[in-house]
Amino acid sequence: MDIYDVLIRDFPFLLKGLGVAIVLLAALLVIGFVLGMSICLLQLYGPKTRLLQWPLLLYERVFRGVPIIIMLFIFYYGISGVYDISAFAAAILAMGLRSAAYQSQIFRSAFQSVPAGQMMAARAMGMSKAKAIRHIIFPQAARHAIGPWTNEFSSEIKETSLAYVIGVVELTRQAHYIITSTQGNVLIVFAVVALLYFVLNRAGNSLLYAYERKLAVPGFEK
Amino acid sequence: MTDDLILDVQGVTKSYDGLEVLKGIGFGLRKGETKVLIGPSGSGKSTLLRCINYLTRPDAGRIFLSGEEVREGNIDAMRARMGFVFQDFNLFSHLTVLDNVRICQIKVSGIDRETATQRAQQELARVGLGDKAAAYPAELSGGQQQRVSIARALAMDPDVLLFDEPTSALDPELTNEVIRVMQQLARDGMTMVVVTHEMSFARQAADELIFMENGHIVEQGPPGNLFSHAASERTRAFLNVIAEHG
Ligand SMILES: Nc1ncnc2c1ncn2[C@@H]1O[C@H](COP(=O)(O)OP(=O)(O)O)[C@@H](O)[C@H]1O
Ligand SMILES: [Mg+2]
Repeated sequence: MDIYDVLIRDFPFLLKGLGVAIVLLAALLVIGFVLGMSICLLQLYGPKTRLLQWPLLLYERVFRGVPIIIMLFIFYYGISGVYDISAFAAAILAMGLRSAAYQSQIFRSAFQSVPAGQMMAARAMGMSKAKAIRHIIFPQAARHAIGPWTNEFSSEIKETSLAYVIGVVELTRQAHYIITSTQGNVLIVFAVVALLYFVLNRAGNSLLYAYERKLAVPGFEK
Repeated sequence: MTDDLILDVQGVTKSYDGLEVLKGIGFGLRKGETKVLIGPSGSGKSTLLRCINYLTRPDAGRIFLSGEEVREGNIDAMRARMGFVFQDFNLFSHLTVLDNVRICQIKVSGIDRETATQRAQQELARVGLGDKAAAYPAELSGGQQQRVSIARALAMDPDVLLFDEPTSALDPELTNEVIRVMQQLARDGMTMVVVTHEMSFARQAADELIFMENGHIVEQGPPGNLFSHAASERTRAFLNVIAEHG
């Protein structure tokens, strides 16, 4: 069988791998979003005690400072020693927690770029802090965050491929399986895989850019 | 004792790291009165206004709004009844003019959307911007933005309006449109405390002028009296400087 027949025959496996990568991506981004937003809100608006702020800072430093491959190994082999965790779950956890560290930074600088007068005016009108954050600060911060968040989205797509080192059968590992059943046509297989990653990346970016344009405020330059 | 006062400020003090910025300020405001607060830069005028609605928390002293004491515990409700107009407008930049004027009616006062919209349109018409409801703040001139911020404050139906140098960030040719709106408010019987160096406004609209220096009230009285024969040398000197530099 020549390589093209193999590719056509095994393309469903590649798509399945892509599907796994997309689920991994979505899960890690959601974890990263929820946790990252919470960290950001606690850092900016929570109590300023060291008891709270210090661990948050440590978390951020550690997860941004350790290579993701090491994190994947630590989470998979570390946790599976005490609890039966699948490689997929370990990857979601490790990558989600790491993304939270990055996303908290994105959100923090977005919130901080909203001028202080906005909060002051909202409070002066009688809004509680929570309402002011929700109705005034958050919508403006979202506009600042969406650009950097799009970058985070793109880099996490690419990093999902690293999950294969702990045995998650995502797109890159499916590609390896196919390669072992062909005779050395490595380049073509990986070119197809690269194209799949690229398409996913462009699709996501286009959606996010469209959202950014939709949020744009007339006359307001960032 | 103070029930006919809309705003009653008693013995307010405030220090910033040892620097005493307000040294026991007291004054009162009856319904429909306009008082203009003047004084050199750094004399504590902004700090005083911010202490009145607890944007800055006073160290000591008491504030009463229509007989009810302003406290940390009721501050959101009290602020909803005090309009604040900032030097640099602080309009909500992601919202249209209409939404700027109605959002706090809806989210703070719990007024339904339709009533809030009507009220917003009424207040925008009052400041001469009925046709700008759909615009965003960044599409307006500074004078228009400040008038929107006045409409935003008015739409909350406040007991009192506090203005902190509302025209200082404006080019001279835009000052008048804001001053005219404020003069009309004074005529309509709005209760206001205004920090400004616009002496034409003070002369025409103020029931009383308060001259502040170094965290003290040096002198207060009807503008006519202060302009013609202020008791204090400092007040006279300050008014002369203002008169010279417009
Ligand atoms: N947040 C602050 N922290 C420290 N010092 C302040 C703060 N706000 C005002 N001050 C100081 O208080 C004094 C009075 O300021 P302010 O009330 O702004 O005066 P004015 O409005 O009359 O020009 C100034 O010396 C100013 O530097
Ligand atoms: Mg000031």
